[in-house]
Amino acid sequence: MLHFNTIYKGTVQLVLTGAFIFLNAVSSSLSAQEIDILLKGGHVIDPKNGIDAVMDVGIANRKIHQVAANIPANQAKQVIDVTGLYVTPGLIDMHVHVFHGTEDMSYIADGHTSLPPDGFTFRSGVTTVVDAGSSGWRNFRLFKDQTIDRSQTRILAFLNIVGTGMYGRFEEQDVSDMNPTMTAHMITRLFPEVLVGIKSAHFWGGFTQVDLAVEAGTLANVPVMVDFGEHQPPNSIEDLFMKHLRPGDIFTHTYSYGPANRETVVNEDLQVKPFIFEAQKRGIIFDVGHGGGAFSFRQAIPSLQQGFLPDVISSDLHKDSMNGAFKDMANLLSKFMNMGMSLSDVILRSTWKPAQVLSREDLGHLSVGTEADIAVFSLREGKFGFQDIRRTKIEGTQKLEAELTIRAGRIMWDLNGISAPHWETELGKK
Amino acid sequence: MKDTARQFCMPHRFFLFLFFGIGIGTVSLAQVHDIILVNGHLIDAKNGLNEPMDVAILDGKISKIAKKILPEEGKRVIDVHGLIISPGLIDPHTHVYVGEKPRTFSGGSSSVSPDDFTFRSGVTTVVDAGTSGWRNFEDFKASVIDVSQTRVLAFLNIAGGGMQGNPAQEDITDMNPEITAQLIANYPQYLVGVKIGHYAGKDWTPFDRALEAANLANVPLLVECHLPGYSLADQLERMRPGDILSHTYENIRDREPIIDSLEKLLPEVKAAKVRGVLFDVSHGGAGFWFDQAIPALRQGLTPDTFGTDLHRFSMNSGMKNFANVLSKFMAMGMSLEAVLTQASWKTAEAIKQEDIGHLSVEAVADIAIFRLRDGAFGFVDSAGQRINGKQLLETELTIRAGRVVYDLNGLSASPYHNN
Repeated sequence: MLHFNTIYKGTVQLVLTGAFIFLNAVSSSLSAQEIDILLKGGHVIDPKNGIDAVMDVGIANRKIHQVAANIPANQAKQVIDVTGLYVTPGLIDMHVHVFHGTEDMSYIADGHTSLPPDGFTFRSGVTTVVDAGSSGWRNFRLFKDQTIDRSQTRILAFLNIVGTGMYGRFEEQDVSDMNPTMTAHMITRLFPEVLVGIKSAHFWGGFTQVDLAVEAGTLANVPVMVDFGEHQPPNSIEDLFMKHLRPGDIFTHTYSYGPANRETVVNEDLQVKPFIFEAQKRGIIFDVGHGGGAFSFRQAIPSLQQGFLPDVISSDLHKDSMNGAFKDMANLLSKFMNMGMSLSDVILRSTWKPAQVLSREDLGHLSVGTEADIAVFSLREGKFGFQDIRRTKIEGTQKLEAELTIRAGRIMWDLNGISAPHWETELGKK
Repeated sequence: MKDTARQFCMPHRFFLFLFFGIGIGTVSLAQVHDIILVNGHLIDAKNGLNEPMDVAILDGKISKIAKKILPEEGKRVIDVHGLIISPGLIDPHTHVYVGEKPRTFSGGSSSVSPDDFTFRSGVTTVVDAGTSGWRNFEDFKASVIDVSQTRVLAFLNIAGGGMQGNPAQEDITDMNPEITAQLIANYPQYLVGVKIGHYAGKDWTPFDRALEAANLANVPLLVECHLPGYSLADQLERMRPGDILSHTYENIRDREPIIDSLEKLLPEVKAAKVRGVLFDVSHGGAGFWFDQAIPALRQGLTPDTFGTDLHRFSMNSGMKNFANVLSKFMAMGMSLEAVLTQASWKTAEAIKQEDIGHLSVEAVADIAIFRLRDGAFGFVDSAGQRINGKQLLETELTIRAGRVVYDLNGLSASPYHNN
């Protein structure tokens, strides 16, 4: 009995101790380990959620866990001090060419003019890119295998209405290879997670290609993006906006200036054409698509002054734009800021707005529960220059620099090592 | 008599003046240079210059270096006031044989495309570190070298297929010194050396064959870090003056570190340095450690060359870009002049390409222009640790063979006017 009692007591003690340890573990996991990374003291700009204030952002299990003022540091495994910096949703660059390859005859589809995205994205705060029709239904699977599945950047894509995508300007004229049914099938049946729209571009004829793209867009219930500028004489963009495109379709290279083969949004007297405002009201989406040849101050500055703003700010990143006036998304957003747009406005047009245009409302914001794609910028003060493709420049006083980029909760870029300990802390010297 | 003389002399002088005046005017109107960089500070180690100098370019070459070059002499004048003019930098350790193969360096997506990274950090020449071997160099040339704006040179891997992954890259039967040397002889304008990089065994045959190829071709040998079966002392002892040890400041399992547990530089490393073996940074994703570099620099082992080991897995790490690597060494105590000297002329000498890396008149106009930013900056190593620094080199303008290929703030552009 006594013996039994002792055993009994011992067991109770053991159970109680075990429970105590267990509860302790649970409580410490709730307080000290709940958050994996805490971005502390930054100014959060999250247009979807209407946040433009100093807030802390907690990440747990690769998702946004909490956005609030003064989240206690002891709730996080890692605290990164981002005081004085801006914390935004990871940028979405809605117009890029990243179907990189070494196919001799091709230029953008599996060719040298495209480039692998990861070397450009994270260092400028971008976490999602949208390939703008480099591939068509015939070669999208190669693109996916070769680039999309191997990249750390999230890659979405517009499928070109031309089966072989952007293989060559010559092949892009082949109307017999513009198949709305196959294009729509590939989007709806095979890759609805990745394919977000249809691209029409580089066509030398009339409206045939746009109409086929819209037909495919209607079948697949996705938007069409149009690069509309290789017709001599130019086709009417008023007809394009009012008669051929649907609300939600996208006009890219908005500020391009090459009046011989592309009708411009601003006329020779530097006035925005009245139907442009009408078109935007109708729901046509205007995309920057800066590129190597598609951004001129003589178009953009009058537009902004007269109240015509781009819906989406995108790069048209490729080999021939990367080292020119474009450079990177942080530079492009800074250019728009120095033309008069506010920081929160350029962030809106490179995060939540493209997410809406693409019907990917899971992206472009920092709502609790969404995948933690985050950019942290410093806003440098100084004397900077910003160029257009006609080798003219404007001066500016502010420039965004990507300090830290997080993709799905992982730090992909850390310019100045703000997430890293000082090297001597490990040796106990500091 | 007096008057006559005066009458004679005056018009004579007048005509002489008129003659030369028109002559000078004609020359200046002819605009003898394509581009003149004015008001910059030139650091050109080969020519012993570290002072304010104007630099002129004509037909892709340096046409004049002088204290003052008149703006009228140039078609374009770029004011680089407050900036540093350097020969275009040379990155001697990159992996740029990019292609479609998954998880592969040679012809694969583990390599990167050079132009994506070079000009924006002041680099005009990269050297591929043995990503290709004799079997696939010509494919590398066609698919990357010939379509890049960056000058791309290469070390040829002693493994016939280059860095194609295991086991093929370790196959001794495909390490052929004669064919390797022959290909180098066939492409002297591209191939600057031989590389031995990946071999896990203890058999010295691969190393000896690489050395044999380097001897046959009369080029340097680049020794990479993934040779765990060889001791560091044995590798250094076999290396000739002018051969290059990569990943100098690395602290990983595959290669013994150069610093011992008491933070002393190993005697065999010092001896090799004295003997003329060259030490490259090859920063990479895993190849640069402050616990090696800081003690090594204190004990005098500064890098001979600043290879980045640029590839897909290093580009977004503590490496970032060439200018960042130079800034990191400045934060560890090296001077601006020292890092630019090593990264231009000394690197050109190391790879025996003495036509580049300097701005002598008639040399190719590969030029980098930097701003030395003041501020609070951080630099990270492969252990994920940071040091702080007060200066950062930022690339303002890069010129390759006389063409402006990168212009950060539009120094070469004209102001926009609404008209």
